[in-house]
Amino acid sequence: MATSEIVLRTEDLDLWYDEKQALKRVTLGVPRNRVTALIGPSGCGKSTLLRCFNRMNDLIPGCRIKGGLFFNGTHLSDIPDVVQLRKHIGMVFQRPNPFPKSIYENVAYGPRVHGERNSAALDRIVEQSLKQSALWEEVKDRLHDSALSLSGGQQQRLCIARTLAVGPEVILMDEPCSALDPIATSKIEELITTLSERYTVIIVTHSMQQASRVSDYTGFMYLGELVEFGETTQIFERPEKELTENYITGRFG
Amino acid sequence: MTEKKFHTELEELRDDLISMAEMAESMLKCSVEALKTQDTDLADRVIAQKNEIKEQNYRIEDRCIQLITLHQPVAKDMRMLFCILKISSALERVGRYGKDIANVVLYTAETPHLAHLLSIPHMSVMVMEMVSDAITAFREGDVTILSDYTVRDDEVDALGHSIFRECVSYMLEDPATITRCMNYVMVARYLERSGDHACKMAELVTFMVTGTRAEFE
Repeated sequence: MATSEIVLRTEDLDLWYDEKQALKRVTLGVPRNRVTALIGPSGCGKSTLLRCFNRMNDLIPGCRIKGGLFFNGTHLSDIPDVVQLRKHIGMVFQRPNPFPKSIYENVAYGPRVHGERNSAALDRIVEQSLKQSALWEEVKDRLHDSALSLSGGQQQRLCIARTLAVGPEVILMDEPCSALDPIATSKIEELITTLSERYTVIIVTHSMQQASRVSDYTGFMYLGELVEFGETTQIFERPEKELTENYITGRFG
Repeated sequence: MTEKKFHTELEELRDDLISMAEMAESMLKCSVEALKTQDTDLADRVIAQKNEIKEQNYRIEDRCIQLITLHQPVAKDMRMLFCILKISSALERVGRYGKDIANVVLYTAETPHLAHLLSIPHMSVMVMEMVSDAITAFREGDVTILSDYTVRDDEVDALGHSIFRECVSYMLEDPATITRCMNYVMVARYLERSGDHACKMAELVTFMVTGTRAEFE
């Protein structure tokens, strides 16, 4: 861990939804250009923590946050423009959610919002993003077809391409394969491994096998607390905490 | 298959390994007993168990593969399965050394033993205790009993060496003892190898319980 640079960091992070405390003193460092998985039973706070990283919780009424939350050393509350923040920290959701537009327009949308008007530059970004998300070969001849004509797995890779198009540093993935079949899942997992060469990926997953397959680091959360965080091999081979061991071996949860 | 069913099956597999250990220990014990008493019937019964222990090893290996394939176990469950797989092979080897000693009984039954079999009976007791303690540690999930394994293995090795030197002296003094002495050296070697397998099992049990490697040999 000491050798990897930390891109996102939380320090004693608490979060409440009205009176209910969803995160309790979470301290975590996310290493750059690595895949970090967050696992834990439903309601443990893993998605809540993920959504803190690009301030998605700002929109939820009654949500209060206390503690440190840093991106490249800057506190997230010191970043005035949330659109800029989300340019650096993109997100892919559980269900593929392409815009009801063409494949091309879905990918070009973000760069346009951020001011790119040059059509040659947009073409380049679309091609590059679709290549990086391993979708280019499947769609290059029908870029102007509706994104909704794609299969679920293709739509999810399109959403990843859409995230990549604005040049993020971090990609947050909230159970990105839970709505996909095993083949589409396997493609996304391969893609995550490839993406980690250039990007930092944080993935929330219910599948412990998926966490162990794709991630370099794993954090186990329980009742709002980060119980254990470490290299994935250590967590799955020799967890230090009994609670982690009991969860990953299926003794509860 | 649910996690509960997986853990039930893992417990059953653990019990199967303990049964296999009982068979391997019994083969070793009976073979030495047959050697001491020159009981060829008992030796034949040990030899007849060779295939049975091999089959038991295959059954355990197959169950391990099945549980790994269907459940992708992790952490202590994976360590236990890994440990069961390897201990099962080690136990088969121990059983086969029992069979090898039983074969020696058939070659030496006609002639009286030299010097009450030298230190072979004592060596066999030490080795059997090592095997039995490794299995106890596996069953209890407690490695305290294994703390003096290195010393015990050294003692077994020293006894093997002493038997070899004693046999050389007998053979130099009287060529008529060569056949018996050569067989005693072989038996000592089988016991020493069984002790090595017991050490390997102790190392595996330590890994299973603590997650860290230990070396006893």
